[in-house]
Amino acid sequence: MRYVDEYRDAELGRALAAEILSTVEPGRQYKVMEVCGGHTHTIYKYGVDDLLPENVELVHGPGCPVCVIPMGRVDDAIAVARRPGVIFTCFGDMMRVPGGDGTLLDAKAQGADIRMVYSPLDALRIARENPEREVVFFAVGFETTAPSTALTLMRAKVEALRNFSVYCNHVTIVPPLRALLESPDLRLDGFIGPGHVCTVVGARPFAFIPADYGKPVVISGFEPLDLLQSVHMVLRQLASGRAEVENQYRRVVPDEGNEQALRVLEDVFELRPHFEWRGLGFISHSGLKLSERYADFDAELRFDVPGVRVADPKACQCGEVLKGVIKPWECKVFGTACTPERPIGTCMVSSEGACAAYYNYGRFARERAVV
Amino acid sequence: MTVTAVRPGALAVCEADLEVMTDLVGPVEPGDVVLVHAGVAIARIEA
Repeated sequence: MRYVDEYRDAELGRALAAEILSTVEPGRQYKVMEVCGGHTHTIYKYGVDDLLPENVELVHGPGCPVCVIPMGRVDDAIAVARRPGVIFTCFGDMMRVPGGDGTLLDAKAQGADIRMVYSPLDALRIARENPEREVVFFAVGFETTAPSTALTLMRAKVEALRNFSVYCNHVTIVPPLRALLESPDLRLDGFIGPGHVCTVVGARPFAFIPADYGKPVVISGFEPLDLLQSVHMVLRQLASGRAEVENQYRRVVPDEGNEQALRVLEDVFELRPHFEWRGLGFISHSGLKLSERYADFDAELRFDVPGVRVADPKACQCGEVLKGVIKPWECKVFGTACTPERPIGTCMVSSEGACAAYYNYGRFARERAVV
Repeated sequence: MTVTAVRPGALAVCEADLEVMTDLVGPVEPGDVVLVHAGVAIARIEA
């Protein structure tokens, strides 16, 4: 398949690994954060990290949309879903994310009408088909997913659909990266930038990383050779003393992003003053809510949402995993009390979560053996 | 994903019979390849 097979070529992978080896300085430790959960998934599915020298460490970033949703927002979603007359719709992963009061799947088992959808457009269709019911869509995700919610809301507005609303949990990727760079917990040498987010926002929003922090960023595709090449590009910048934003994923990502998508986002959303991230706490201007023009579709205004705040379970260390401070297998409950079948933390739920990626692709056994 | 059919209202059908919004990539035709996230095409992939 074009754009897939050529980026999974084992010979090319070995050649890139050799180039990486020749680029690193022996004795220097390198920490490179892959921001996006999709990258984390690829790294562990294809064993990309096994091809890197021992002194190059990939650190998992906060770019898994399911992982960063705090427990209180899940409890709020469940409270809305349990209201009489409501059909609550969400992506499949969100059904299993634990709140303080169980999961949406638990609530469904107890009688709430909760339906899994592929896109918000499906939720809109359910609203058209059920005019006597209130249909709520649980919107999560970064700038990659937010345009879908925005376009759906524009359609709902044109149709004057009164029984459709959105419980908005969209977030933006730049503020948490800045928070991580300000954190004393983590020393990073460079970043693998989130390719699909950049398809929408372009490369410019990441320019602050080299400008303000002197770290290289390489926007990367999602196949194994994309990631190897991106790591190599980061290391080459470090070796030559450069710090800039480079675009490895030019076959998809234009430097300016998708201008139509940016216009749609600006019309439908506005920044919240602050938003809570799992493990990272409240981060200023990092979450989106519906703009005044779309306030009639805002589930938080339409329903009495409790606004619950719930502390993470003490045993769960998703926050430290999301900040890249610990590896998934270093969490006390990884693979024992917390598994993909019975997750305690969000990182074990989504396929883009670092813990689920480690667990599902056998990293659990290997890392335990090393311990 | 590959577009298999086009519908009115900036909609297209892709492989596996998935309906996607195409507002962000302009008009598409069967055979076009697009990058889809959550039911919306966010980029056109060169064929």
